Amino acid sequence: MPGTFKTEAVVLRSIRYGEADRIIHLYTTTRGRVNAIAKGARRPKSRFGGRLEPFFRCELVLYEGRGELCTVNAASTLDGYPALRADGAAIDAAARACDAVLRLLDSAEPNLLAYNLLCRYLALLEAGEERLEAALAFRLKLILVAGFAPELAACARCGERQDLSGFSGAAGGVVCGSCEAEGFSLSAEAHRFLVGAIGNPIADVGGASASALRQAERAINEIVEHHAQVRFRRASRR
Amino acid sequence: MHAAPISRLINELSRLPGVGRRTAQRLAFHILRADDEEAFALADAIREVKEKIGLCEICQNLAEGPRCRICQDEGRDRSVICVVEEPADVIPFERIGEFRGLYHVLGGALSPIDGIDPEHLKIAELLHRAGAEEVREVVLATNPTTTGEATALHIAGQLGGVVIVTRLASGLPVGADLEHADEVTLGRAFSGRRTL
Repeated sequence: MPGTFKTEAVVLRSIRYGEADRIIHLYTTTRGRVNAIAKGARRPKSRFGGRLEPFFRCELVLYEGRGELCTVNAASTLDGYPALRADGAAIDAAARACDAVLRLLDSAEPNLLAYNLLCRYLALLEAGEERLEAALAFRLKLILVAGFAPELAACARCGERQDLSGFSGAAGGVVCGSCEAEGFSLSAEAHRFLVGAIGNPIADVGGASASALRQAERAINEIVEHHAQVRFRRASRR
Repeated sequence: MHAAPISRLINELSRLPGVGRRTAQRLAFHILRADDEEAFALADAIREVKEKIGLCEICQNLAEGPRCRICQDEGRDRSVICVVEEPADVIPFERIGEFRGLYHVLGGALSPIDGIDPEHLKIAELLHRAGAEEVREVVLATNPTTTGEATALHIAGQLGGVVIVTRLASGLPVGADLEHADEVTLGRAFSGRRTL
């Protein structure tokens, strides 16, 4: 039924539309993914100002009509992350994080854990946390809250707890030496990184070598490709 | 429903940005009603612009021939390059008439979410131009959006130490109310305040 509603949201993406409008992709606390049009948002004297730029955390008043897009009626800033916006690497990391949310969580079902995770990661980027380890930990936690957590404690194929030396996206996690044929080799360091990243706050995730991080990223990508049928962009420009 | 040539015209028109099927149909019938001279003038203009307009070999702006009119103008200050995202962004600078330097059109802005990386833009061409002895300053005039800021920061990092790199000031539009300003814009306006 048409009407207005108020919600808190993070702007994931903003696309130019028409002469002076913007279409914004939002992740909201109450309705999950929402797309909306902000009329006149590109005009210098727009009442929205810069509030509908990507990564802004806002309180929005949206009008839901019969069409697919809501209309933004009002926006007030909860957090603009100004330091993040002054750092190219942080902007890149934030954009890749928002892209991952866009690809993985595309339903209108709210996921407050995912919303809080995204806000937390943006706050960490604002504070200068730009490590690839943090970006991968964010992705791993995101697939966890989306319901696609990989099995890391035992072989996802046979349940063996020893000799976990591979990873299989199809099996859904780490695999033992005898089941490894269907996956790829996962070093002990990469396995430790994945366990640490899923069990600790993003800010506390430990460092790892470049090759371990490559394996960890491949493991995350294979999980989402096999089980969520989405493909993430690379976690960093590199 | 329509004759094949009319359907084809409607299909082609509906591919234009902001033009839906109904608008395309209205435009097609307007063209059909117009006299031959008017309709063929439109067709000729489209053909001419596609045949004659390319990118300027220096600034990557739209040009008739190898160089645009601005790059050909001997009276322009060749020590300053103003970097913009799109050819349309040159027009407002020319309208104010205060800038007498040259331009560089990047052809877009960095956007990881859209898969636009530095190699997709005319950044290498800019770095080559900025390395010339006569260039003293590069003004980064990308849009004050997240993608525009990311592009400006990337270019500034690449040009650091080669030339003076400046960024357009950002702040409050003339005639706006402070009450409606967003926090990031107001913060930048405040930190960029000047002595009167």
